[in-house]
Amino acid sequence: MTNNSEIKHSLDPISGFLSRNAGMVVASRLLDEAKSKNGLLSALWIDMDRFRLVNDSFGHSGGDRVIALIAERIRACVRDDCALIRVGSDEFVVLMPLQETLCAEQFARRILLEIEAPLLIDGILIHPSASTGIAMSRGDDDPGALLERADRAMLDAKRQGGNRFVVSGHEAVPGRLGTRLAREEMAIESALHQALENGGLELHFQPIIRPDGRIEAVEALMRCTVGNVLIEPEKFIPVAEKSGLIVRLGEWSLLQGTRCAARLRDQGLATKVAINVSRAQLISTEFLQALNGALICANVPPALIELELTESLFMDISPTVQANLHGACALGVGLAIDDFGTGFSSLASLKDIPAKKLKIDRAFIKVLPGDWRTLAIVKAMAQLGRELGMVVVAEGVETPEQLVACAVVAGVDACQGFLHTRPMSENDLLAWMIARKQS
Amino acid sequence: MNNQSMNEISPVAGALEQNIQAIDIPPRPMIIDRIRSAMNEDVPNFKFVGQLVSADVSLAAGLIKTANSPYFGYQTRARSVNEALMMLGLDISCRAIATICLRQAFPNGAHYERFWDASARIAALSGWLARQIRRPNLRPDDAYTFGLFRDCGIVVLLRRFPLYKDTLARANNEAVLPFTAVELQDFPTDHATIGCLLAQNWWLSNGICQAIRYHHDQPAIELFESGLPLASRYLVAISQLAEHLLQKVSGASHTEEWTKLGPSCLRLLNLDASDLPEIYEEASLVLIDVD
Repeated sequence: MTNNSEIKHSLDPISGFLSRNAGMVVASRLLDEAKSKNGLLSALWIDMDRFRLVNDSFGHSGGDRVIALIAERIRACVRDDCALIRVGSDEFVVLMPLQETLCAEQFARRILLEIEAPLLIDGILIHPSASTGIAMSRGDDDPGALLERADRAMLDAKRQGGNRFVVSGHEAVPGRLGTRLAREEMAIESALHQALENGGLELHFQPIIRPDGRIEAVEALMRCTVGNVLIEPEKFIPVAEKSGLIVRLGEWSLLQGTRCAARLRDQGLATKVAINVSRAQLISTEFLQALNGALICANVPPALIELELTESLFMDISPTVQANLHGACALGVGLAIDDFGTGFSSLASLKDIPAKKLKIDRAFIKVLPGDWRTLAIVKAMAQLGRELGMVVVAEGVETPEQLVACAVVAGVDACQGFLHTRPMSENDLLAWMIARKQS
Repeated sequence: MNNQSMNEISPVAGALEQNIQAIDIPPRPMIIDRIRSAMNEDVPNFKFVGQLVSADVSLAAGLIKTANSPYFGYQTRARSVNEALMMLGLDISCRAIATICLRQAFPNGAHYERFWDASARIAALSGWLARQIRRPNLRPDDAYTFGLFRDCGIVVLLRRFPLYKDTLARANNEAVLPFTAVELQDFPTDHATIGCLLAQNWWLSNGICQAIRYHHDQPAIELFESGLPLASRYLVAISQLAEHLLQKVSGASHTEEWTKLGPSCLRLLNLDASDLPEIYEEASLVLIDVD
């Protein structure tokens, strides 16, 4: 272990590792040594997975005990000439003078295996895991740059699901952009937690309208506002999907959406409410209980509810997903395939899923009417839907020309988009529907 | 699917179609949203929150009663809403107000009154136990709120389905299967799922929502792999112990939950069965205070 009397005073009391500042001094020296000896220095940035759960569960004192135990395990894996640094609450860096990259990978593998052994804290068995990023240097970087590369690789390991290592230069999104994206995701996840406990979520509704003016359904779209800042669904939905929060958001929407359907009916404006459900909800064996629970709470007939299935569902339709979808159908709830024609929602999904509605992705609509090839595809999709007895909806209709192309030329059954109305709050929706009814 | 075939599939779907009881679930009281937005301002406005609470006489009385309850153990007594707010602090006040509002939002009536009386006792005992058995991340006011609302799904099911009371009796007497498994034999959902949906709707903390969902699920509270936050496990363990204490002290309304969950709960709380007699004695004094 590195000997330096000044540095001994800069040890982190919990892990016994060097503090961040002391670590940077040692890193600088080890880089100089690597350069003079024509060797390599590898930096392993180790970040515990789901450590927030440990802190949430056991409090910070419990978290500190876990950190101390993990630090011991890391120490047991490395040689005496390595420097160990605690760079964050649940983040460590191992600096290792080495001859080749493969050795660093072997060490990373060994450390991850060692960390994985179960831990007993307050009578509860934890299975810890960590994500590791590896960066190598011949001594020509400064310490900050070396650690930044290791950190970036670690974030990529995390994005891939954690409990793995990634070597710098092999990240999916390399460079500063990758780091910025990962940090942004963490900030959004924290905002979602706040929204769920402080009332930052709201449903807005966008009508889907038939050519004769009848309302086919209204789609419920989630809005998230934290500290007066609106977070766009395009930003928070992917983060919610990765973090697992999507299940809670989805269940929240389920109850809000069914209650909206009940209120519309009570106002004499009975209309189907389409609620988005995620893959994470549908792979759960508890999905039908939650759906039934929402219907019972809201006291609304299942026929007034439609579930919009996002395309990520179609990656892999497991028996549980099938059972959930058929269970929902048997109850009388409608199913709609969202964003059809792009991503994973392929023709095969029409075979496997008992859906009654097909929503053509906006990507096809936005190039209409000019793009004749796309128009031909939209026409074919409308024809296919009709033959399968499905209602076909064009999403993202923004201009009168697109409306004509969809409704008249391609013959879709209904359109949704800014041309008709933007998504609106439930009160605005009620006022809008009442005004339409009166006129 | 038409109505007729749907009725054949599920009596619940039929009941929903017929809209047999035109009632709505208790909505999240508006005042909670207004108080939260006042609290979320850069400088939380005590005076405005005080005005909001004072505008509702029963809420004001409830908040003062909460501040003066033996459960908080303050020496001085609050005589006004503002004093109660100052004593409790805005955060605990907001939770207390939510609790009072939610209680008011649920239907009254002789049948439900008994249910709420039992819930109120379990809640009070839970709050007391949480103060005795200190654990990180376990807030006595969360234990109180959880004790009061963990079974609110039962009220919804009883109101929707008159036959649910027979299921409830069977579930209470079931010594092997989980309580919710008995409910799922007769209905397509259970009171824990409904309670969790309602709790999410009211913006209760994730710890409380998860505890409501899994409060009859022994593996969920015992195994780390279940992913249930430890705070939720403690809430479940404390409330099950509170229910057991209540039944032991009052000698009434026995369920089989302690048989199924008791050993796990004691392990979580680091208690031994031999510790219980002393706790029974103290609990009976707490209950006298509550009543």
